[in-house]
Amino acid sequence: MFRKILIANRGEIAVRVLRACKEMGIRTVAVFSEVDRKALHTRYADEAYCIGPAPARESYLVIDKIIDAARKSGAEAIHPGYGFLAENPLFADRCEKEKIRMIGPSAYAMRTMGSKTVARKTVQAAGVPVVPGTVEPIATEAEVLRVAKGIGFPVMLKATAGGGGKGMRLVREESELSSSLRMAKSEAKSAFSDDSVYIEKYIENPRHVEIQILGDRHGNYVHLGERECSIQRRHQKVVEESPSVIVTPEMRGAMGKVAIEAARAVKYEGAGTCEFLVDSKRNFYFLEMNTRLQVEHPVTEMVTGVDIVKEQIRVAAGENLSIRQEDVKQSGHAIECRVYAEDPERNFMPCPGVVTSLRIPGGPGVRDDSGMYEGFEIPIYYDPIISKLVAWGKDRAEAIARMKRALAEYVVTGVKTTIPFHIRVMNNRHFIEGNFDTNFIDKVFFKEEEARELANEEVALATAAIQVFAEERKRAVARQPGEGAGPVSMWKYSTRPGIRKIG
Amino acid sequence: MSYVATIGEREVTITVEDLGGANYKVEIDGVGHVVDAHQVAGQLWSVLYRGASFVVDVAPQPADEYEVLIQGDCHKFTMMNEQRRAMIRAGGKGSAGKAMLTSPMPGKVVKLLVKEGQEVEAGQGVIVVEAMKMENELKAALAGKVKEIFVEEGEVVESGAKLLLVE
Repeated sequence: MFRKILIANRGEIAVRVLRACKEMGIRTVAVFSEVDRKALHTRYADEAYCIGPAPARESYLVIDKIIDAARKSGAEAIHPGYGFLAENPLFADRCEKEKIRMIGPSAYAMRTMGSKTVARKTVQAAGVPVVPGTVEPIATEAEVLRVAKGIGFPVMLKATAGGGGKGMRLVREESELSSSLRMAKSEAKSAFSDDSVYIEKYIENPRHVEIQILGDRHGNYVHLGERECSIQRRHQKVVEESPSVIVTPEMRGAMGKVAIEAARAVKYEGAGTCEFLVDSKRNFYFLEMNTRLQVEHPVTEMVTGVDIVKEQIRVAAGENLSIRQEDVKQSGHAIECRVYAEDPERNFMPCPGVVTSLRIPGGPGVRDDSGMYEGFEIPIYYDPIISKLVAWGKDRAEAIARMKRALAEYVVTGVKTTIPFHIRVMNNRHFIEGNFDTNFIDKVFFKEEEARELANEEVALATAAIQVFAEERKRAVARQPGEGAGPVSMWKYSTRPGIRKIG
Repeated sequence: MSYVATIGEREVTITVEDLGGANYKVEIDGVGHVVDAHQVAGQLWSVLYRGASFVVDVAPQPADEYEVLIQGDCHKFTMMNEQRRAMIRAGGKGSAGKAMLTSPMPGKVVKLLVKEGQEVEAGQGVIVVEAMKMENELKAALAGKVKEIFVEEGEVVESGAKLLLVE
């Protein structure tokens, strides 16, 4: 086993990995940018090295600096967390060259799964169902038409090199095909300097369900069941749960089996996730494989009792997985809410700033994976995720009730957060019934919210008036002669404090 | 002290009287109750109102606006005392037809989409501010001419910083 691990990340995920290392008796090394000197991960680690200025491309994304910190500290392995360098095969190559173990899959597995068409081809060859369509890029309009007719409209045209919705076109009928193809190609050309496109059947109102897998270098694989991730805002997951209300034991077994086949096809080592689209008839189709730890891994940990980060570390050290498939049992239900420093009242605008007060929920079945503390200044430079709140219950109803209770206890002031949004989701009838797809939040939830009447208006008005009243009185006191300048009114801090000027 | 809150089109009159010991007599449109309100941290209050207990987060915004969060509901209104309201009513025309765009968050000015002197429509994107890996296009509040731009591309701005003035 490793004696020392460097964590090449920041914020809540760095803290999560640190916790696993500490429990395993492994010494930890943090890296931090200049604005993260006081961040929780810097404080929690046994050692910490500054790796440069705030922007990630000058610190957390610089492979040389990470390797240098690993050398200086004598770390034998690097855990990349997610984001930053986690799916960068160049980083995996470099670690191999430097004889430092990267905790994750091989560069080969990353490269194969990183290209959409190669991933499709590879898993299809392993017998994994993919969304019907072409594996090879297609060139001529006639061919596109032939394939589209074969799989049936509506279809999606997608850029081979694509990502972020660029070079993607939904074609509902034959008459739209010609112009859509032209636009998809030209978008793909300008975004990726590669105008090749492929074609896929468009799945109407799909659900997003994914399977967590673990593998070791000795050829052992297990799956830890599914996560339901259909609650998305603009294609970004915001609430996840396990199990999924639509997955039956047979379906779970079948999905788990094909996820393991996909992993085996690239000799996958460590923790990985196969994402699937599920249509209204519960047909499932491979979407992509994420070659890293996922943000939503805690819901799986809560229902299976498996510590996924510890398994990653064990496997990276060359050990066998500590569990076999028959040991994996799902117990109860878990839900995760991603808490972002964003203002739900202003179209989820990012809201960095100082956390002026904080109360973290506790009690039975509640887990908070966060990277903040009272007084912490959430920097403007990184992802706005500040915490992952997870609730476990004996069944889904109890998990929802606990999550509602925990969200109501969660107090963060100084910055706006998405906690109020999550309270509304947990109270939504369709969510409670388990009746939703990936379009639910954007197409249904927000409309229903607009029409909703707010409760406790009198209390809101009374409290605001009392606050204004108290503030006016304080100001009057401060103005009285003999008091000097008086104490700085705390109301100066009541609006969001700005960041200090940097650079 | 007497205050006027404006919620959408509605106006509500609220009076507050200090009874001592963190108790206040609050009348809302003439109906009065005793409110037990303790400030537990910053803008956070523990409120006992007619026997019910609430945690209330009162966030003042620019221009006398308030956002009050109770159990996941965000109440938005403007509130000011009667003198201030009278003052604004008397001299209120001064700021009509002008809109100062300020940065709603700390961040970096990535792109200016307009130049000084340019005509803009209400709702037109005028400036892009980046924070937390997200680019946010900020829009003109009203139609008019860009009178002055206070920032340059690449500049780091604080929350509330003046960005540009449309007249």
